[in-house]
Amino acid sequence: MKVIVTPAAANQSISLTINDRPETVTVPPRTTLAEILRDHLDLTATHLGCEQGVCGACTVMVDGRPTRACLTFAASCEGATVETLEGFKDDDLMDRLKAAFHRNHALQCGFCTPGVLATARDLVERLDTADEVRIRNELSGNLCRCTGYVGIVESIAQVIDERRGLGLPSTGAPRVAREATTGFAPFDADIAERPPAPAVSSGTMTVEDGWSVVKREVALNHSADAVWAHFSDLDAVAECLPGAKLTDHDASTFTGHIGVAFGPITAKFEGEGTYRTDDSSRVGTVAGRGKDRGGQSAVEGELSYTVRLAQGDPDASLVDVGFRFRIQGMLGQFNRPELVNGFVDYILAEFVANCDAVLSGGEVRESKGISAFAMIRAVIGGKLRALFRRT
Amino acid sequence: MKPVPFTHEIPKSLQLADKALTGDNSKVMAGGQSIGPMLNLRLVRPTTIVSIDQLDELQTVHIKGDVLSIGAAVTHAQIEDGIDDVDLPTMLRHVARSIAYRAVRNKGTIGGSLAHADPAADWVSAMTALGAQLVIRNAHGKSRREPMAGFMRGAYRTALQQGDIIVAVELPTAMGKALWGYEKICRKVGEFADAIGAVVIQPDLKYARIVVGATEDAPLLLDDMAREMARTATAPSLDEIDGALAAHLPGASRVKRQLLKTALSRAIAKVIPS
Repeated sequence: MKVIVTPAAANQSISLTINDRPETVTVPPRTTLAEILRDHLDLTATHLGCEQGVCGACTVMVDGRPTRACLTFAASCEGATVETLEGFKDDDLMDRLKAAFHRNHALQCGFCTPGVLATARDLVERLDTADEVRIRNELSGNLCRCTGYVGIVESIAQVIDERRGLGLPSTGAPRVAREATTGFAPFDADIAERPPAPAVSSGTMTVEDGWSVVKREVALNHSADAVWAHFSDLDAVAECLPGAKLTDHDASTFTGHIGVAFGPITAKFEGEGTYRTDDSSRVGTVAGRGKDRGGQSAVEGELSYTVRLAQGDPDASLVDVGFRFRIQGMLGQFNRPELVNGFVDYILAEFVANCDAVLSGGEVRESKGISAFAMIRAVIGGKLRALFRRT
Repeated sequence: MKPVPFTHEIPKSLQLADKALTGDNSKVMAGGQSIGPMLNLRLVRPTTIVSIDQLDELQTVHIKGDVLSIGAAVTHAQIEDGIDDVDLPTMLRHVARSIAYRAVRNKGTIGGSLAHADPAADWVSAMTALGAQLVIRNAHGKSRREPMAGFMRGAYRTALQQGDIIVAVELPTAMGKALWGYEKICRKVGEFADAIGAVVIQPDLKYARIVVGATEDAPLLLDDMAREMARTATAPSLDEIDGALAAHLPGASRVKRQLLKTALSRAIAKVIPS
């Protein structure tokens, strides 16, 4: 296994204005604005919490607009004007906000406060009137675990009223009121017939004890004998799993890797596992564990399949495919389990389609996964002919 | 929590962007509010990032004839606030203001969101409901148009090829007069949606479309229901909605179906008074 080491990208020189002072920093391109502020300029009022744009702790003003400093990379800061909590010199609205926060107990531990103040500063400028629901909704992007927001909302409302008292107009765009629902006169809609979506095989997706479980029932137009011959051959099964590659295996254990490409997300899990097949019940199980070194994620999974005769057609069969898996590390932290499930479902669908293609005497289809299909294609034809001779 | 080392190109023109994207593992970034978290978590590990959100040619919004064109690098906040002299359909402004948080809307772009194709994102469902077309430029500088319906193939999967850049989103200007409903259900304001329902009816165009979004997959079009709704001008019953969802999403849990049904029925109620 060759480990590809990416050479560190050359440092870039970035010039920007921070709190009215011109600054130049020389940093690698992956450096975020938050790191430029904290690690290179010692401006530590900007806090880092989640580093994925959710918590709002790093919110600062960039060109006059609140922006997530954790999602702004160095090159994008070239020429920018940044205002952090250390700035706001002679800023009347910010001074009023700070006084109001003090007055209303709008902070306790203070971790979220710099980001909250940036958001608050934007709100008192944009909102025409103090509307509690709107203020609370607008604050949803700044997590505060102490105050329950009561003092924060109160402070923002008070400063909006103070601004109005001073006769200063809001800068925000007025919200367009929706017209009342009136209905419409019946008409024949011109809807183009779309080709029906590919049939979804019936299946379920559940979570059991922290394991995601995807089950599908797949119909194949091949005899159960042929299907089982295919499914009891680990090499053939691995070849149909997009992106999978066996490096070594004996009668019951294997090592290998599986590369997955899920939109922009790529991972390569390397690991080992065991497999067993039972010719009498036509049940096969492949269990494996793998680590993705680049992304620091680990996956454990078990693929099981049962081949059954389809009723009334000797040349058709049903396969119950089940996949239990558990992902830990960064991919698990991504906190969108339903998408991972959807992805696994997609992989299973590809797997089934490949099995179908191979059983029909064809080849594994092109896949967008990171796979060694080009190599596989060279060997698969020969292997399968051997496989069908056994049936 | 640091991305892998990458080189970051900020080309001054689309031609230079094409050139920068020739690398094997290069990624377009148009705001970075979705890809940024993935970079920080190292779920995405590109060698080159090409930022296109500063290109002037992607920032224009204009009406030509009966087509409204929105540049791919227009931010959600710009749409939320309205664009100076262009009469944007109110549905767009309504959808924009409920995307994530203002700090994210200030950077995130409409083209970036469509290219990223998160199933729970707003624009993929809203633009499908509005019958939008995407103007896509390929690596050789050739442009093509693709309808939004069918553009998304699944979670994070679209019809885009390596080197493709979404340049603009186009809508019939008549959509400004459409009857519309757009409802989403989130556990927390600004979080990813658990369910989205969108309905657009434009009798002048003989147009009716019902979209169910945040299904963990591409937006779902309920064409038969839309046709029937236009023909009768009455809302489908909750049971009818439930039946359609069960037929199209056999793997969805009852909870998910209930959320989707609720979002869609609320959207329909915005078009047909109950």
